[in-house]
Amino acid sequence: MSELTLLVLQLAFLLLLWGFVFFVIYSLRSDLFGQRARRMVAPAPLPLDAMPTAKPTASAPAPVTEPVVRADPAATAATPTRLVITSGPREGVEIDLPPEQLTIGRSSESGLVIRDDYTSTHHARLMLWDQNWVIQDLDSTNGTFLDGTRVTQPTAVLPGTPVTIGTTTFELRR
Amino acid sequence: MSAVTASPPIDANAGPAFTGSIRIRLRTPSRRRNLELGLLLFAIAIGLSALVLAELGALGRVEPGVLGLAIGLSVLILAVHGAMRVVAPDADPFLVPIATLLNLIGIAEITRLDIANGLTGWDAFGVRQVVWSAMAVLAAAAVLIVIRNHRVLQRYRYVAGFVAIALLVLPFLPVIGLSVNGARAWVNLGVASFQPGEIAKIALAVFFAGYLVTARDSLSIVGRRILGFTFPRVRDLGPILIVWVLSMAVIVFQRDLGSGLLYFGLFLVMIYVATGRPSWVVLGAVLFVGGAWIAARSLEYVGGRFYSWLNTFDSDLYDQGGGSFQLANGLFGLADGGLPGTGLGRGNPDITPLAESDFIIASLGEELGLIGLFAIFVLYMVFVSRGFHLAFAGQDDFGRLLGVGLGFVVALQVFIVAGGVTRVIPLTGLTTPFLAAGGSSLVANWVIVALLVRLSDSVRAQPRLVIDSA
Repeated sequence: MSELTLLVLQLAFLLLLWGFVFFVIYSLRSDLFGQRARRMVAPAPLPLDAMPTAKPTASAPAPVTEPVVRADPAATAATPTRLVITSGPREGVEIDLPPEQLTIGRSSESGLVIRDDYTSTHHARLMLWDQNWVIQDLDSTNGTFLDGTRVTQPTAVLPGTPVTIGTTTFELRR
Repeated sequence: MSAVTASPPIDANAGPAFTGSIRIRLRTPSRRRNLELGLLLFAIAIGLSALVLAELGALGRVEPGVLGLAIGLSVLILAVHGAMRVVAPDADPFLVPIATLLNLIGIAEITRLDIANGLTGWDAFGVRQVVWSAMAVLAAAAVLIVIRNHRVLQRYRYVAGFVAIALLVLPFLPVIGLSVNGARAWVNLGVASFQPGEIAKIALAVFFAGYLVTARDSLSIVGRRILGFTFPRVRDLGPILIVWVLSMAVIVFQRDLGSGLLYFGLFLVMIYVATGRPSWVVLGAVLFVGGAWIAARSLEYVGGRFYSWLNTFDSDLYDQGGGSFQLANGLFGLADGGLPGTGLGRGNPDITPLAESDFIIASLGEELGLIGLFAIFVLYMVFVSRGFHLAFAGQDDFGRLLGVGLGFVVALQVFIVAGGVTRVIPLTGLTTPFLAAGGSSLVANWVIVALLVRLSDSVRAQPRLVIDSA
């Protein structure tokens, strides 16, 4: 076998090796750069804008809901087992909650995949702590709203309390 | 006050909309496995062509022996892939193809060195490497089939801890214990020798993950702030001191600098990930540097390693037996390879002692050049990042810690070996994962693949619901 042939084969081999590397990295692209956001068909109002407008109308029943939010843990002895989408594109759909944790985000690895313009790749997660479901925002860009308040630290989600992520709102039920 | 802002539209309109419940589960079962199959076939094609090229370069013709065995190994790995479609359908698709490619490239280079050294049949390291690889792949398949839920391992964390200690003590037992090149880290099994420390690193990762999940709170919450770091209480220092003593014992009694560094580094990273406190890393680094410094002054073999690291090109040291001949020759080989390499089978990596095991990085660097070596490092990086990814996407703390630990142990081992060969750190006698000749290392690293596959399979539970507003 001539020197030249071997040289060409060697270069071809290195090319093939890097071809494999780039194939792997190409397949990994959604992990590296996040899932691509899809354009929405109709421009929907930003949930951030929607909230303040809703505020005045909602201020009246606030005292009623206040005690519910601060209900003592004994009341939650029956842990929610279902998650119900109460508004958004898939309104009305319900899913069973997993035994320990439900991740929410645009990533296809999430337990609840929400693909809209406001959701981050790994947006938030619901965790079961001492029979209570707790929501934690995973540093999302547009935030997670529990009963209209932006979640900054892991917060308990009581049954019936609306959680808003992007254009989707859901609540937990027993 | 703002508590109910988001709820009125729901209460008002959406209430009656969900009287009938719709349960939706989306499954795309074989996409990941199909990607894996594609990558696997690609990897096997590259690996086998490496073997063909190595034989063409070294002999001018292709010998059927090792090539046939390597094809057999590839078929076995494809069979394991088939089994994964059943037992781990949602597992990460990159782990097995990367491990396969590295393993086959290792076999090609080892076979090429056998040709140069005139080794044939059972004496040839390449033949033994293929047989060990097959056993390692079978061990990995067994782990995958037996351990269906990684949380079972958490229950056996203390058992794993004792198994690790027992494995580390094994080389000191009178009949089976074996010293190789001064390091007492081997066990003689009659037909072959085995390095139990390689398996011990997996047992240690399981033990550390299990222990840290339970002990994390006391290790991470309390402490005193000094110089911007929150340092742990004195009574919480017990575990880190025990692991430090253990790794120092490995350095002093087993005379194995690399493994000591590996175990301690593994613990440091896992405790850092578990507690999120940089002070553990500072503390551990001080402990290890102190220990290594004392070891370098008092232990002759460690001092010698440091000396030949700093004075590699001293001509007296180069000529002296056991001096820097090996290290310097590895560097000459890398320099000879340059950017594109000499071509598989056409360099002289066989001049370097232990070119097929400790210096496989230098051998490959000579024949594949910097371009090829960097491709290999990127593959390691992707492999390790898949382990780290589990920490991010994982569902339970034990699995997340174990994923980080197993990924990091591979990363640290590659760093210790490649750093030693390229004179970034003193040379130690660790094996390069998947590439280097050595059965115990292959078995251990394929078991790591199996565990990461198992962990990633449980992470990738399919989404329960996809909301697509497009």
